[in-house]
Amino acid sequence: MPGEALLSVRGLRKRFGGLLAVAGVDFDVARGEVFGIIGPNGAGKTTLFGCLVGALRSTAGEVRFLGERIDGLPCHRIVRRGLVRTHQIVRPFREMTVADNVAIGAHFGRGAHRAARAARAVRDVLERTGLAHRADTLAGALTIGELKRLEIARSLATEPAALCLDEVMGGLNPGEIAGAMALIRAIQASGVTVLMIEHHVHAVAAVSDRIMVLNFGRKIAEGSPSAVLADPAVVEAYLGSETPIEAA
Amino acid sequence: MARFLTVAVNSLLAAGLYAEMAYGLAVIYGVMRIINLAHAGVMMLGAYLTLTLFSGLGLDPFLAFLIVGPVFLALGMGLYHAVVRRLPHGGSTPTMGSLLLLFGVWLVLQNFAYLMWSGDTQSILTGYTMKSVPVLGVRVGIPSLLVFLASGASLLFLNLLLKTTYLGKAIRAVTQNRDAAMLAGIDAEAISALAFGLGCAFAGVAGGMLATLYAFTPDFGRSFLLKSFCIIVLGGMESVTGVAAGALVLAIVENSLAVYTAIPISFQDAITFAILFLALVVLPEGLTGLFARAPRLRGAQ
Amino acid sequence: MRRAGLAAGVAVAIAALGAPLLLGRGTLNDLWNLALAVVLASSWNILGGFAGQVSLGYSVFLGIGAYTTVLLSLRGVDPFATLVPGALLAAAFSVVIGLPGFRLRGPYFTIATIGVGEAIRVAASSVSFTGGSSGVRMPAGSFEFGRNYLGMVILAIATVAIAALVRRSAFGHTLAAIRQDVDGAEALGVDATRFKLAAHALSAGLVALAGGLYAINFQYIAPGAVFDFRLSLSIVLMPIVGGIGTVVGPLLGALVVSTIQLKLLELPALRDSYLFIYGGLLIAVILFEPKGLVGLARRIVAALRTPGATPRAADAR
Repeated sequence: MPGEALLSVRGLRKRFGGLLAVAGVDFDVARGEVFGIIGPNGAGKTTLFGCLVGALRSTAGEVRFLGERIDGLPCHRIVRRGLVRTHQIVRPFREMTVADNVAIGAHFGRGAHRAARAARAVRDVLERTGLAHRADTLAGALTIGELKRLEIARSLATEPAALCLDEVMGGLNPGEIAGAMALIRAIQASGVTVLMIEHHVHAVAAVSDRIMVLNFGRKIAEGSPSAVLADPAVVEAYLGSETPIEAA
Repeated sequence: MARFLTVAVNSLLAAGLYAEMAYGLAVIYGVMRIINLAHAGVMMLGAYLTLTLFSGLGLDPFLAFLIVGPVFLALGMGLYHAVVRRLPHGGSTPTMGSLLLLFGVWLVLQNFAYLMWSGDTQSILTGYTMKSVPVLGVRVGIPSLLVFLASGASLLFLNLLLKTTYLGKAIRAVTQNRDAAMLAGIDAEAISALAFGLGCAFAGVAGGMLATLYAFTPDFGRSFLLKSFCIIVLGGMESVTGVAAGALVLAIVENSLAVYTAIPISFQDAITFAILFLALVVLPEGLTGLFARAPRLRGAQ
Repeated sequence: MRRAGLAAGVAVAIAALGAPLLLGRGTLNDLWNLALAVVLASSWNILGGFAGQVSLGYSVFLGIGAYTTVLLSLRGVDPFATLVPGALLAAAFSVVIGLPGFRLRGPYFTIATIGVGEAIRVAASSVSFTGGSSGVRMPAGSFEFGRNYLGMVILAIATVAIAALVRRSAFGHTLAAIRQDVDGAEALGVDATRFKLAAHALSAGLVALAGGLYAINFQYIAPGAVFDFRLSLSIVLMPIVGGIGTVVGPLLGALVVSTIQLKLLELPALRDSYLFIYGGLLIAVILFEPKGLVGLARRIVAALRTPGATPRAADAR
């Protein structure tokens, strides 16, 4: 449906006791785009993702996905509808193989595959994320770069309409970052909408169609990468805080 | 009106006892995020030690804390160093390993008691055990009254300890954020050992007081453990005054049900359990969670 | 390795079934107790080991099975026909506890199950239609040991088979994912509560079947025995000692604990020390080898294969 946003957020708030982590955020994400989310540490980005996918219960606000409200639904139901996220701190099932890890996503995601179809889906995702050669390795034995890709692979296996990536480039060297960027472009090319939280500002600027900037739980800028990065409010938010912007 | 007074007075007295039982559990949980299942066993041993001091030396059970307290402090610290220290602890949630380990310790303590004192039911009968005084028109047993006073004294002592002494502040720091406390130079391991000892000391003293009110066997303590756990869940698990408040809530509910409804006393365990269950499911932050929107009261810590 | 295990299992099963032809009543009684222990340990392991939800209240399900059998038999139903209703009742009750209970994490769930067990024991002792604290007795003339023995052995074989099948199935893999990281599993679309409920119901039903057979064999049950907390404790102890989360572990644990119960405690010196032994075992396992006898065996085998290497115990789960 042209014109109707895939994901639509209005007035999202999340409070933890005395702390208002997300203080009223509105934005839309169009089908097929790569939507970057940046901001200094503590800006509420991961909390925002948590609210979108149902890992956290938002204090107020509406989230619409594919035209229907999803706020308040449990996490696993939202995954079934096609919205899934990766975790900033990877959390693989360490005692299971890479293939078994991905299989969970294939079984319980939107595709809900069984047996042979699931095995094919798993192989397919492992190929796309470059983990096919590690399929039978225990997840506990992978490197951090491979674990990040496993995180993406598991989420991709759920056959999402929209994938939320939380700092997938954190801790990667420049070669791995380039690989991650290529993977994100490939995911977008396959028809999946991508939201990504990232600290590597230049990397996210290179792959994103649009970027939103959060600071202290509020949106302070939104638009094309070049426009946003030139915005004085954004520059001040980064330079004014303790955290320097990461160089690419 | 008479019934209301009965409920009020009995609730206060029961709350005193329950709070005394729960302080020990709360301190250990707060500092180490360990649910001390051996708590029941320690209370039971405290009861037996108090009994031995009473029947052997003629020491009044309400003075026994002078001996029981330090003895159990040492025992608790010893237990920590021997066993508890080897477990991962201090994370944000308790671990199954710690639960099962302390459960094992409880069994060992029970067996020890069976061998030392036999499985016969015991109780402590002093000159004033059967006497009572009228309070607001309600007849109150003297032991109950003394337990209430002791509990009030414990509350004062703990509050003073936690708020004015270095040790107390260190304990509160580790309770709130173990890593940050370590970065500030606090030896979290030593504090943990002390906290475990303190928790056992309170449990032992509480056991001694329970012995003046109830008959006991080595198996005793399970329903009190459940009550204690219920209280620290209600009380928010991090503040001593909260524990006292939780004890009061539990006592009021129990006494009101006993007086105003026909539910038999034997169902009290089921009631406690139901409250505990509800509290864990509905109020994960305890009663204080209900007041989350109001600014945090610093004094309650 | 797997085929050797399967062959060994089949051999043991055949031996157990054929035992009445060769062994005396006393030994058969011990084997009956062992078979009961196997059922309880293996069933518990489905929820406690595979799914990682430790319940200290499983005596409730044994009791439900036992009481259903006795009460229905007293009303004229054939005792063996009462087993299935008992299992269904236990499964239903497990869902009733589980729906609120599984909202609690780890140790909190465990504490809640202690509470449930106590509440049920008290209720059963107070309510008259269950015979109150003095219990109830099966109708006369329904005892036949040979049949009871076969019944329990068949149940034991079936339970171990079911556990093995679950472990290797997609259901079992999902339980394993839930055990390792329930939030991570939910983030991939797993309805964790539904799976926990299913594992709980399956194991509750199996335990209840054992409860029914228990009632048929002992002919008399009382709340103090079937709803006893110490029973819940030994049900948990067996898989932990043997190797929680494996198929063989509960069997080894059942063997160890049964042997302790039946033989060691006959010795006058140790009769009053069973709590020391249980408590000591629990402490030793948690501190030194959280994966139980199976874990210990694996470490020994690995050490023998790579001379010089000394693998450390894996982290406690």
